[in-house]
Amino acid sequence: MHYEAPIREPLINGDKSYHDITVDVAAPVESKAPRSWWIVFSLALIAFLWGIGCILYTIGVGIGTWGLNKTVGWAWDITNFVWWVGIGHAGTLISAVLLLFRQKWRMSINRSAEAMTIFSVIQAALFPGIHMGRIWLAYFVFPIPNQFGSLWVNFNSPLLWDVFAISTYFSVSVVFWYVGLIPDFAMIRDRAVRPVTKHIYKILSFGWGGKAKHWQRFEEVSLVLAGLATPLVLSVHTIVSMDFATSVIPGWHTTIFPPYFVAGAIFSGFAMVNTLLIIVRKVFKMEDYITLGHIEMMNIIIMLTGSIVGVAYITELFIAWYSGVEYEQYAFLNRATGPYWWAYWSMMTCNVFSPQFMWFKKLRTSLIFSFVISIVVNIGMWFERFVIIVTSLHRDYLPSSWTKFSPSFVDIGIFIGTIGFFFVLFLLYARSFPVIAQAELKTILKSSGENYKKLHDKDGH
Amino acid sequence: MAENKKYWRGVEELTDSNLTQELSAKEFPTEIPTDEFLGNKEALEESSTSRRDFLKYMGFSTAAATLAACETPISESIPYVIAPEEIIPGVANYYATSFYDGHDFASILVKTREGRPIKVEHNKMAAINGGANARIHASVLNLYDATRMQSPMVNGEKADWSTVNKTVKAGLDAAEAGGKQIVMLTSTVISPSAQKLINEFGAQYSNFKHVSVDAFSFSGKLDAHKAASGTRALPLYHFNKAKVIASFGADFLGDWIGQSVAGDYATTRKPGKGMSRHIQFESNLSLTGSSADKRYKLTPTEMNTALVALYNELSGSSLAGGKTNFSNEIKSLAKELKAAGNEALVVSGSNNKDVESLTIAINQLLANEGTTISNDHHNLLRKGNDTAFNSLVADMNAGSVGAVLMDNVNPVYHFANNDKVMAGLKKVKTSVYFTEKNDETAQVVSVVCAKHNFLESWGDAMPATGHYALQQPTIQPLFDTKQMEDCLMAWSGNDGDYLDYMKANWGVGILGSSDWSTALHDGVLMSTTAPVMEEAATETESSEEEMEVETTGMDVSASASNLSKIKGAALELAVYQKSAMGTGNLANNPWLQELPDPISRVTWDNYLTVSAADALELGIENRNVSNGALNGSKVNITVNGKTIEGVPALIQPGQAKGTMGLALGYGRQGVGKVADAVGVNAFALMKDAQHTAAITVDVAEGEHEFACTQLAHTMMGRKIVNETTLDTFLNESPSNSRGDGWNQKVEYATFKGPMAADEVNLWDDFDHETGHMWNMSIDLNMCNGCGACVIACHAENNVPVVGKEEVRKSRDMHWLRIDRYYSSDMTEEVAEETGVSSFAKFDKMEDPSASPDVFFQPVMCQHCNHAPCETVCPVAATTHSNEGLNHMAYNRCIGTRYCANNCPYKVRRFNWFQYHDGSKSEFDINYSMNDDLGRMVLNPDVTVRSRGVMEKCSLCVQRIQLGKLEAKKAGRPVKDGDVTTACQSACDTGAISFGDVNDHNSEVFELKKDKRMYHLLEEVGTQPSIFYQTKVRNRA
Repeated sequence: MHYEAPIREPLINGDKSYHDITVDVAAPVESKAPRSWWIVFSLALIAFLWGIGCILYTIGVGIGTWGLNKTVGWAWDITNFVWWVGIGHAGTLISAVLLLFRQKWRMSINRSAEAMTIFSVIQAALFPGIHMGRIWLAYFVFPIPNQFGSLWVNFNSPLLWDVFAISTYFSVSVVFWYVGLIPDFAMIRDRAVRPVTKHIYKILSFGWGGKAKHWQRFEEVSLVLAGLATPLVLSVHTIVSMDFATSVIPGWHTTIFPPYFVAGAIFSGFAMVNTLLIIVRKVFKMEDYITLGHIEMMNIIIMLTGSIVGVAYITELFIAWYSGVEYEQYAFLNRATGPYWWAYWSMMTCNVFSPQFMWFKKLRTSLIFSFVISIVVNIGMWFERFVIIVTSLHRDYLPSSWTKFSPSFVDIGIFIGTIGFFFVLFLLYARSFPVIAQAELKTILKSSGENYKKLHDKDGH
Repeated sequence: MAENKKYWRGVEELTDSNLTQELSAKEFPTEIPTDEFLGNKEALEESSTSRRDFLKYMGFSTAAATLAACETPISESIPYVIAPEEIIPGVANYYATSFYDGHDFASILVKTREGRPIKVEHNKMAAINGGANARIHASVLNLYDATRMQSPMVNGEKADWSTVNKTVKAGLDAAEAGGKQIVMLTSTVISPSAQKLINEFGAQYSNFKHVSVDAFSFSGKLDAHKAASGTRALPLYHFNKAKVIASFGADFLGDWIGQSVAGDYATTRKPGKGMSRHIQFESNLSLTGSSADKRYKLTPTEMNTALVALYNELSGSSLAGGKTNFSNEIKSLAKELKAAGNEALVVSGSNNKDVESLTIAINQLLANEGTTISNDHHNLLRKGNDTAFNSLVADMNAGSVGAVLMDNVNPVYHFANNDKVMAGLKKVKTSVYFTEKNDETAQVVSVVCAKHNFLESWGDAMPATGHYALQQPTIQPLFDTKQMEDCLMAWSGNDGDYLDYMKANWGVGILGSSDWSTALHDGVLMSTTAPVMEEAATETESSEEEMEVETTGMDVSASASNLSKIKGAALELAVYQKSAMGTGNLANNPWLQELPDPISRVTWDNYLTVSAADALELGIENRNVSNGALNGSKVNITVNGKTIEGVPALIQPGQAKGTMGLALGYGRQGVGKVADAVGVNAFALMKDAQHTAAITVDVAEGEHEFACTQLAHTMMGRKIVNETTLDTFLNESPSNSRGDGWNQKVEYATFKGPMAADEVNLWDDFDHETGHMWNMSIDLNMCNGCGACVIACHAENNVPVVGKEEVRKSRDMHWLRIDRYYSSDMTEEVAEETGVSSFAKFDKMEDPSASPDVFFQPVMCQHCNHAPCETVCPVAATTHSNEGLNHMAYNRCIGTRYCANNCPYKVRRFNWFQYHDGSKSEFDINYSMNDDLGRMVLNPDVTVRSRGVMEKCSLCVQRIQLGKLEAKKAGRPVKDGDVTTACQSACDTGAISFGDVNDHNSEVFELKKDKRMYHLLEEVGTQPSIFYQTKVRNRA
């Protein structure tokens, strides 16, 4: 068994046995939903339905129901898309990259982080669809055999790369997540008393028997999928950034975008994980598994990636000046001082300044502060995409076409709708799925559990 | 209780019980010959209907029956019973005709498809007014306006023509019997046949008068010419022979005296030795002022004194009233005019007789008669007489008019004293009004004669002495309408129709040695033998009192002293005409309403133009709301005691301080949902038909929402419109090693050494040398911003109109737009000298100068050979042709709008809604797409785009294909000129050239080598197929 130095903080607090873990993780699934869950779920559902209404209205009447115009052809739609995709980065990073790096602390948060990933990628995937003028022809973007002669998709288009990148990412994430869920579903199946529940979890757990062979395959598949998923963490947002980087619009045409977008994505993803887990650990009384140490770890990553993003912002400004390209120079001057200066400075404040508080241990171990910052960061990251998209477009080359953008109620409604949809999915997940990868967690109980650490100490080994 | 009742199935069962048993054993009473059918294997196999076939047929029948049950859209396409010889489906026919609505005149060709007129083209054979302006290009849509008068009305009730004839005849007889006047009130009549007819009609009555009046009157100007030369007619101006042009408020490139001079003017504007110099004095910023080499801002009163000063300077005399703040400018102008001698031309835009007298005197001093001014041939498009009209109004109110017949005028709308006109008309027993619309005047007359559209009418015209034109119908009348001439013939007891009458009239004197068919085919005729139209007789009759005064000749000093008596007010109003609206005759036309004003770029409105300085003093504000749209203060204005409330005010750079402008042609009532309630009626302010007046302005409550298509007004120090001066152009090389040449080519340092931006390439380029390579040149020196090309593009390409609200959201659909830029006081050089920071520099650059240079730049899809839009489309809906065109496959487009975002020129237009769905009331103003009648104007060669699809300029690919096919049919290569785009052929000044650059004999090939040539945003490396020619102003 893996040995961990006693000076390391335990990853599981309290006097936990294997059975305790099982009971704690299964508790939300087996118990009745409290009133607070119903209230939050209803709110999310209402927002979701409102969003669906707005989407149907858009499809029925036209994209003209949004605030877009001849100059600003993308605004909230693609801002939301990139925002959600960015949020969707943390899950895979935690489960795949940290798996490869043998970071055991990921075990208690990877399940939820990945669930968040999948749910936010679903939100993100909505936007490329509904932003189309003719969504009913969306299948044109797939390279499928057709009767239009030799008509094929345009492999030069970053939007097409997006289609591949997002769909690959989504499918690999779902498979990876599901594979991890199988032993945990089996655990719930085994504990289930009501036949219907038992039957459902029986199907979901794919006949898991807990045999040594099963465990061996499980480990191998996890490793292979982690290997597959790791490059995707980098590729997805790289490709999303190419939507902008390969264009000719000043403010978009920037080679710094791929690393800058990936850093930003991890930044916002971790912030979202923090937002969710700070609530989950409280509500499900999982403070022993999702410890303050976890929160602190994630805060450190937020601080690091936030600083990377800050460096990228400043580099952009420097390059704009250094390039000597008048359009580029104006684009960045206009960002900071033009009609949308407030968006730029909101972004700067939220993304660059606020994470710097995490240098202070007291602040980064404060739950309330972490929670607030995690939300501030995601507001900032939304503004980052808004700044890139709208302020670059609204004043590009020819002043004759300069204009501004103002969202319609439909723009706002769809955004709120996706937030509702996200929480509907997450809330359903939280009450029906094991929110902690208990099977994996049990593997580190004896090395990183607090009680076992104490035993080691007592026994002097 | 059980009952054993037995029922028999028949008598047979009762009588023969065996039968029952026998039958019950069998399924069918008689043997079914199944064995014969199924047992005979051979026959079965021989049969062509196998089981599979049977199932197939059944499947098909079921499907067919299901489909047949669905409702199919009914398409009412009725074939010709006898096909007309000249109509071949899919092939356009062109007919030469003329447009005249009492204000605009042009000789045009009308393109018809399957019998429907769908587009106006220029008649290149016409020596005068062969170029249609934006309004005439759009006029074809007014034909299909469902709100046209569809039948005549008598006393407000629908009537048939026999009732009309009876009523009118009775009315005329009653007037004659009562000894009352019978008056024919028309616009200037330019038709010799109609004039003859009117004269003949009038001869029947003892007390007949014919009064002509122009909506935008030049009566004073005409009087001045009468005093000077004895003939009450305007001369023809020859701008093509002018070397120095000075204009005092004459917007001759926009709207002036009917003669279209933009083409002539353009011929002198070619950069090089001998390029004309144009100095403009004006209060509103006009199209003409925008094109001028030097423009001075004067109030109308200052213009009077400046003119006197110029006269004094040129003649050496010292007439009173020549004291001006512009004495230096006038001195140098006089010097330039003197140097040009008879190649100089001075024109004025005023309707003041004294102003025109001075202008005539100045031109006489320059001795330019015979070169730039011709009094041998007169312009006959403006002959209205305000004095006669005013006395008619007085007579009507006095009750001495028994009948009045009105054609081509709308007196209740067009005149300041419209309340008196209205009262007068109500007193006239029989008032007959020929109109296409149930408009302002139609409300107060007793008989409304629904009139043909010009495309349904026969007619002729004499726009200038010796110049004749014909008008022929291009479609059967759509409604129960008649033209004025036919009615007049009927009422004067003249049998036969107007066509025969006209033919006879032409046969007598006009045709000369040419024949009718040729004249009709050409649409125009130059005749030297023809007699001058008999107008003097009628004119004398109608203006007797005037004649006595007028014969005294021209007294310059009296004029000068009259002018000096005019005291300027603190604020002066100068009304003007927009190129889209003119006098508002075609107001119910969505294409025109949505045509941005060339200067302000505002659509769907008229508004008070105010200088920034006055706006500050009065507290008038303009601001952009959150989506960029423009809002402005509302003001109440009072002119000559008349107040109009809630007039929107627009801050206009280049507006002379102390002056304001207001466009005519808006504020219509009863002409249809497009025009009604748009803007205010400025005619009401034109007291005595003067174009200027004192005005007082108060800021009112509330804000007006403008629909402006351009929200940033300066070039921000970028090379967008490349401009230089004539001196630099002549003496310096376009590119130099310092990098500041007047047409410096952008170079990039590459590993191969410095390379022109156009040549840098990441990939091996495609072959652009084989086959056609379509290129377009746009000469910024020739473009005066008039907007005719924009309308031509609308008509040719079925471009939708989206309405005011959508334009406000920056969603106008124009494929071709004319960008207008003002110069700013802040430039890179100024910033460097004054040491202004970058932040402040760009901030200041956004503000246009108070006296800006104005630039027009038509921008359509640039057809980049390295097109940013093409690479980003995920479905390859926009692709490049090997002829240098950027294509759009509408039915492949899924509407991601990525292409539009990535377009550096922002020329792509997205269908935000279904603009052609008749069920959506928000777009019902777009009747060319939402109304069965209106849709007849659509060009069948161009798809109407659905919602969610991107569209843009195709360089009229349908016309390119046609040109290629025609050449192919003729078995020859495509020649230069075989293919023209709609915008090119609509351009009066020849600013747009189009052709194949691989054809080395083509004009565009030469133009591409011109040293003025540059590509827009060349440094982006898009390699466009469109290129521009540097603008050169004739100044030091």
